[in-house]
Amino acid sequence: MSRRLAAVLDWLDDRTGFRVINHHLLDEPLPPGTGWWFTLGSVLLFGLGVQVVTGIALALYYAPTPDHAWDSVRFITTEIPAGRFLRGLHHWGASVVVVAAVVHLARVVFFGSYRKPREANWIVGFILLHVILAFGLTGYLLPWDQRAYWATVVAINISKLTPFVGEIVAGLLRGGPDIGALTLTRWYAIHVLVLPPALAGLVVVHLYLMRRQGVSGPIKARAGSPRPFFPYQAWRDLVMAIAVGVLLAALAWKGAPALEAPADPTASGYVPRPEWYFLGLFQLLKYFPGKLEVIGALILPGVVMTILALLPWIDRGQSREWRARRGLLAVFTAGLAGVATLTILGGMDHPKAGPAGWNIREAAGAALIQADDRCHRCHVADGIAAPIEVGRIDRPADWLAAHIADPEMIAPGLREPPETNQRDAAAILAALARLRSEAPPATDAATAHLDIVVNRTCLGCHTIDGVGGKDGPDLSTAGRKYDAAAIERRIINPVDVRPDAQMPAFGGKLPAEDIRAIAAWLAARK
Amino acid sequence: MTAPRDSRRSALARLVTGGIALITAGLAGLVGLVAVPRSGGAAKRWRRAMSLFDLGTKGPTAAVLTERHEDGWYETRKQTVVFIDRDGEGYRALSAICQHLGCRVRWDDSRQQFLCPCHGGTYDREGRVVAGPPPRGLERLNVRVNPQTSDLEVEL
Repeated sequence: MSRRLAAVLDWLDDRTGFRVINHHLLDEPLPPGTGWWFTLGSVLLFGLGVQVVTGIALALYYAPTPDHAWDSVRFITTEIPAGRFLRGLHHWGASVVVVAAVVHLARVVFFGSYRKPREANWIVGFILLHVILAFGLTGYLLPWDQRAYWATVVAINISKLTPFVGEIVAGLLRGGPDIGALTLTRWYAIHVLVLPPALAGLVVVHLYLMRRQGVSGPIKARAGSPRPFFPYQAWRDLVMAIAVGVLLAALAWKGAPALEAPADPTASGYVPRPEWYFLGLFQLLKYFPGKLEVIGALILPGVVMTILALLPWIDRGQSREWRARRGLLAVFTAGLAGVATLTILGGMDHPKAGPAGWNIREAAGAALIQADDRCHRCHVADGIAAPIEVGRIDRPADWLAAHIADPEMIAPGLREPPETNQRDAAAILAALARLRSEAPPATDAATAHLDIVVNRTCLGCHTIDGVGGKDGPDLSTAGRKYDAAAIERRIINPVDVRPDAQMPAFGGKLPAEDIRAIAAWLAARK
Repeated sequence: MTAPRDSRRSALARLVTGGIALITAGLAGLVGLVAVPRSGGAAKRWRRAMSLFDLGTKGPTAAVLTERHEDGWYETRKQTVVFIDRDGEGYRALSAICQHLGCRVRWDDSRQQFLCPCHGGTYDREGRVVAGPPPRGLERLNVRVNPQTSDLEVEL
């Protein structure tokens, strides 16, 4: 240390007395044998620190409104330098914190460290665990994508099961009559304004009590003289923090899981899934259908948590050795194994929704969007409106429908709006719904043209792959019955084939090559 | 405590302090990277201002250019006002932004001057400062006629 720096530090010490504080904070004598198991709290503290720092950085860009939350998260991920990594750190950091908290708790149980006189600190830690889980729950909603929205719907519905005051609790969580803007601002406020000071305060109390009572040390006291925390235990903490930090950075390198489509309360059939550390609860719910649900949702977890909180009063023996605590440790291990099993079962229970191909209407819509003379008049790079990109469509369906019907509604007088008939509009709308989350399959110009023609001409009366009108027969498997030539004849003049046919003749209305292409395409559907 | 043990302790202490400093620096670097705003707007390009036939004959004509404007994650439309005027055989385009503090100037037909409503900046028809606090004249923009469309275009 240079002499000048020493002089500055001497001056600072003289005016503030920081060396005494430092000495008090860092030179805590630790019992001999305090080893790697006692680094878990520090790992947890490190993880919480990462969450605070990355959370503040995210808050610079995040907007807690339904109109912009999703967009702002997309912006963070795609536009901000290191934004993807930052969001990855915060996302995976939450998991690291939960794991570290549970492992730390397990260490305390196995070492019997909650015993007298450390009961109060056990309770503080128990509350901290719930603060951490509350962070996870409230943070999950903030990206405002489908996953976030529907997981929150489930969480709030579970809260309704609370005996007697369920509706009141749910109302408080919702902030309004429905889950929406008021829920988002509320959960954001809890996530960034309520929980952080609670966390900080509880951590300070937790550390203060830890210092007041001293570290419990190894199960069997060892001979030897105590050694100061710094640096003899601090280096272990540091090594662990670096190891966990490297693991976290590796997880975060590819970012957080991709944003799903923006939250859409009207979406049917979305299967909500919670973050993995709530999967156990999620799985437990499935075993208690109907009126019994409250048992799985609240009573059972409540009983388990109450027992956990009361552990220091349940286990009051003198010896911390495992031999003396076999029964308790067996129950605790079984409990942990139960939670792990439920979590794994919940994780395996994936909804089996195979990626369906684009039906003819969606494909036609994608082709119409691609066409130069329509959406691309405005929606191009450098254009008057943003390019239409996968995952960037965040307007609700009714807005999109109105915009397709009358683009001028949005930007009056900018350009001549394209003519759009009803069936084209329906196709574009269907395609936009899928473009929220996935790219259209590659296609050639001929297929794109065919898709558009079929959507415009056939789907008015016929159903193909579940879309279309009901007036004519379903054509999904037309090729099983007729070959291309037969189909072509029917399209040109149906009455030629069946005198009582209701279908209008398309010969002369559609170009002959279009009719031939449609016939060939239908004949291939078997 | 003996001397060798003491020196071992201080070496270890320095190592640990260094490690903590490294982690802190890493996190601070990340936050710095994220927090520093990106500079630089869109590149200049030619934009349609108005049809040549809409250009007035008595004085500068205000043209409102509407552009998509990306404000971070917020997308909006930005409107820019430019004044276009005949200048001998050619045309002159002036930005409507007062060079004092950025208010929008207007054209006063009776005085034949651009007036700034904020602090009384006054410019003549060619954008030169006549009176008031502006340190320099109105910004001149490149302007051209697109022969295919007969549109006046300015570079913005």
